[in-house]
Amino acid sequence: MLTDPEILRYSRHLLLEDVGESGQSALKFAKVLIIGMGGLGSPAALYLAAAGVGTLVISDFDHLEVSNLQRQIAYQSSDLGTAKVTLMKQRLEALNPEIRVRSINTQMSESQLSMELILADLVLDCTDNMVSRQMINRVCVKACKPLIVGAAIRFEGQLMFFNHSKADSACYHCLFPNSEEPALNCSNAGVLGPVVGTIGTLQALEALKYLLGLPSGINNKLKLFDAKTLEWQTFTINKDPKCPVCGQIK
Amino acid sequence: MNVFVNERVITIPVDCHIEQLLTQLESPLKGSAVAVNQHIISRSKWAEYKLNEGDQISLFQAIAGG
Repeated sequence: MLTDPEILRYSRHLLLEDVGESGQSALKFAKVLIIGMGGLGSPAALYLAAAGVGTLVISDFDHLEVSNLQRQIAYQSSDLGTAKVTLMKQRLEALNPEIRVRSINTQMSESQLSMELILADLVLDCTDNMVSRQMINRVCVKACKPLIVGAAIRFEGQLMFFNHSKADSACYHCLFPNSEEPALNCSNAGVLGPVVGTIGTLQALEALKYLLGLPSGINNKLKLFDAKTLEWQTFTINKDPKCPVCGQIK
Repeated sequence: MNVFVNERVITIPVDCHIEQLLTQLESPLKGSAVAVNQHIISRSKWAEYKLNEGDQISLFQAIAGG
């Protein structure tokens, strides 16, 4: 299944009992959609590309601004003004020529996202606003696609995994039911770079585990990260039978 | 009776439900999430979910940054 250059490139994976050649092949044939190429998407995309996830679809509609560089570590100062997905595609292809990268340089509508999900095995929500998060959740619930959600501001991070291919899966809307609600983001609350980087890195880790068929420790759970104490809290999210997004259709 | 909200002791009336607690704390209902003893309680249950002596309540905000 793997070529000689791939065997060399992924040799540290192949040493792992939980990966091996069959696991690496599973990564090679996987397709992951990453929405948002900011502080979460930077490490998530870099790690998934490096790990040999065969097809990455990356989406963002922003151009790189100087205030992004404090935390969005995939980019350079010389890149300012260029579309983030253009930069990221170049970066990922340079990092790992064995994989395919496709970029979407628009704010996806619900119908466009539904189309994109048909071929995706997994979705990473690395966006920066509540409206997008609710929309991604709705579409993933409908399409029964697993969703790994990350978020961070200030010294706080949140990480969740909803396996929407399972009937008992809760959803983002069970936890945060309103898209009009005030939600803190990096531009109104600030964030320390490694906080958002930690959460994006863990999204990549959970993605790899899912694609390798390893159990997730955070299915239907919310992990809260306190970057000041480095303590984690873990909460169980039960499916809300009254949830208008996931409560009725399954 | 006493409960713990984000590890602080808070005295609340017997049969107090989550919505009452948030009102007592003058905490916004919108954009908040509540967990009791490490289980998230969905917003649709806040008006009826009665708290018990010693409950460990976590109250936190939705964050959207990335």
